[in-house]
Amino acid sequence: MKDRLLPYWLLIPAFIIVLATTIYPLAYSFITSFRDWDLTESRRPGGFVGVENYAYAASESAFLNSLWVTTVFVVTSVILTVILAVALALLLRRTGPMHTFTRIILILPFAMSPALIGVSYRFMFNPEFGVLAQGLGAVFPALQGVPWLADPLLAMGILVLTDVWHWTPYMTFMCLGGLASIPRETEEAARIDGASNLRIIFGIILPQMRGVILVMAVLKTIFALKMFDQVVTLTGGGPGTSTETLAYFIFNVGFRWFDMGYASALAWILTAIMMFISIWYVRMLLSERKMATA
Amino acid sequence: MKLFTSAIAIAASLYGAQVFAWEATEGRPYEGQTVNVLAVKSSQFEAHEARVAAFEEATGIDVVYDYVPFPNMKEALTTEMVAGGEYDVVSVMDQWVVSLRQLMAPIGPGIEAQGTDLGDFPAAHMRHGMLDGELIGLPVRGHVQLLFYRADLLEAAGVTPPQTWQEMVTAAKAIQSSTDAAGIALPYGKLNGQNLMVWMNLLWGKGGDLFGADGNPIFNSDAGIAATETYVSYINEEIVPAGSAVFVEQDAVNSFKQGNSAMLPVWWWVRSQLTDPEQSTLTPEQVGFTALPAVDGADRTTYTNTWIFGVTQESDVKDAATEFLGWLTDPALEREVLLDPELSEVVAVHMSNLTDPEVNARWGGMHQAAADALATAEGVEFGDNWPRIALILETAISSLASGEESDVKAALDKAAKDIAAIR
Repeated sequence: MKDRLLPYWLLIPAFIIVLATTIYPLAYSFITSFRDWDLTESRRPGGFVGVENYAYAASESAFLNSLWVTTVFVVTSVILTVILAVALALLLRRTGPMHTFTRIILILPFAMSPALIGVSYRFMFNPEFGVLAQGLGAVFPALQGVPWLADPLLAMGILVLTDVWHWTPYMTFMCLGGLASIPRETEEAARIDGASNLRIIFGIILPQMRGVILVMAVLKTIFALKMFDQVVTLTGGGPGTSTETLAYFIFNVGFRWFDMGYASALAWILTAIMMFISIWYVRMLLSERKMATA
Repeated sequence: MKLFTSAIAIAASLYGAQVFAWEATEGRPYEGQTVNVLAVKSSQFEAHEARVAAFEEATGIDVVYDYVPFPNMKEALTTEMVAGGEYDVVSVMDQWVVSLRQLMAPIGPGIEAQGTDLGDFPAAHMRHGMLDGELIGLPVRGHVQLLFYRADLLEAAGVTPPQTWQEMVTAAKAIQSSTDAAGIALPYGKLNGQNLMVWMNLLWGKGGDLFGADGNPIFNSDAGIAATETYVSYINEEIVPAGSAVFVEQDAVNSFKQGNSAMLPVWWWVRSQLTDPEQSTLTPEQVGFTALPAVDGADRTTYTNTWIFGVTQESDVKDAATEFLGWLTDPALEREVLLDPELSEVVAVHMSNLTDPEVNARWGGMHQAAADALATAEGVEFGDNWPRIALILETAISSLASGEESDVKAALDKAAKDIAAIR
């Protein structure tokens, strides 16, 4: 009897921590999302207002803009990161001293704080003394004096660049793990049959990497949906509202406007989007496995 | 009855300086209590902390300072307001006061009992310490705007310091034709409403305002459109540095400090940075200042910025905290910091110090210029929706500056509509 209960007893500390740090805040914010709570008026939540906060979101142009900005950011960031990670993993999967060294160097961007990355890139693209702005201007004279972060399109491009730079190494290592699990025999057989490198990559390696790539894509999508740090330190959501992501907009609503009810509703909209994407990806993944084992 | 005089006052009188008006409460009733202070990171407040031992000795109260950088200060205050209990005295910027009303406790009777002369504070600063008719804070740090300029570049270009915005454009073009420096460094980017601070002067100068008597937005009036067109036109006329569309205040200051711009309208406290050899390439001889330019035919204006110190509602030692506020806002403490040859602190919020001959002699008349500006400055009435209003307005200016929007009237109309729709 004691042995049967022991695992549950051992789980209790972890369960309490998860309950206190994840489940309780989530439940509290869900309830808050149906209440009117202006922090400037009261430190306690006000009365229930039904779905008013959610309905307000649907009609507010600033929210709809942040949804669009987030969509653009997520799509470009995920596609670029996954493509670069796969390409780098294919280059680095061989063994040798240079490859080991490169792998070590590669992890450095991921080890950096996202906020610090934003500050660094803001300096590097400063048109007066930024090393990247000056360097690009020296190599390509047409780019001399380009106000990189002052243009809405370029600012979004640089925001995507910082995120891709930050996440590609981690995704590359995930990809390397996936590549290591592919049996070498099929690739060697194809080479003996005279298949080209491109044919081997697209015909043999990538189809077997599909599962790993899907996991990479779902993880990267979730992280991209939460993009906040670099927006704060790199662009401040500007110029205008061109880089105002949903996470940054929620922060403004909650901690600058003090509209906690509305901010909670927006946070749950973001959570719902992430849950929908996660479930969709997992279902796709499971159906792939079923097909593979059928 | 107050009999005890602080050790600082004694020391000051020994040196023939102004005697401290503040006196510790008789009997040291708060001895042994600790006052925790949450202050924004600032060398001025660090100078106060360096002198706090005298207060502690006179009152028996321990004072512990915690500093938070400006970009994180609002979040720190919000946490204190919601969670409460950690700090007894907090520094709050004027724009945040109303939205943080749950944080601050009334201090009127305690301050009155200490004999603090509220009439010594300029009205534009003092108004931010009042909320619903009650005193909830006292100004400790306050700013007016001045136009700093490169004296050597203006001289080389054959122009005098501009007194109007039109003269400033003319001077900027003349400077650019004779040097590599941009004419003027201005902030157009988004950060806590920084791009509104110069724009507001143009708005007032053109006869406009943010809101009408009924509280509705009127910044999209003809005057507002003209002011905004003028502000954005400086980018199109290329008299500001490249990339100014995303410049926040510090970027503009850096541009001036690095010798890349010739003029800089900014808060006066920046003065100490501009010739600091560790931060700037400029020498004191190269940097001059004058009052902020006026719009042709209009009175001079200045946007003001004020930091008040108040006592928190959750404080368990409110009386000790109020006693500390009395010491902190003593004009003699401020004067001592202003005249300390080891420091480079220019900030003052007492008219007695702003007009003090010795202070003005040390700082080249800057304080008298500030006093003149403050004499007519009214300050802005910030409501509890101000953070949101500021974000909408600064976004409109940023959009126009970056070219994301090109129609000034449409952008201001949209901002007015968004502000009117705030729930």
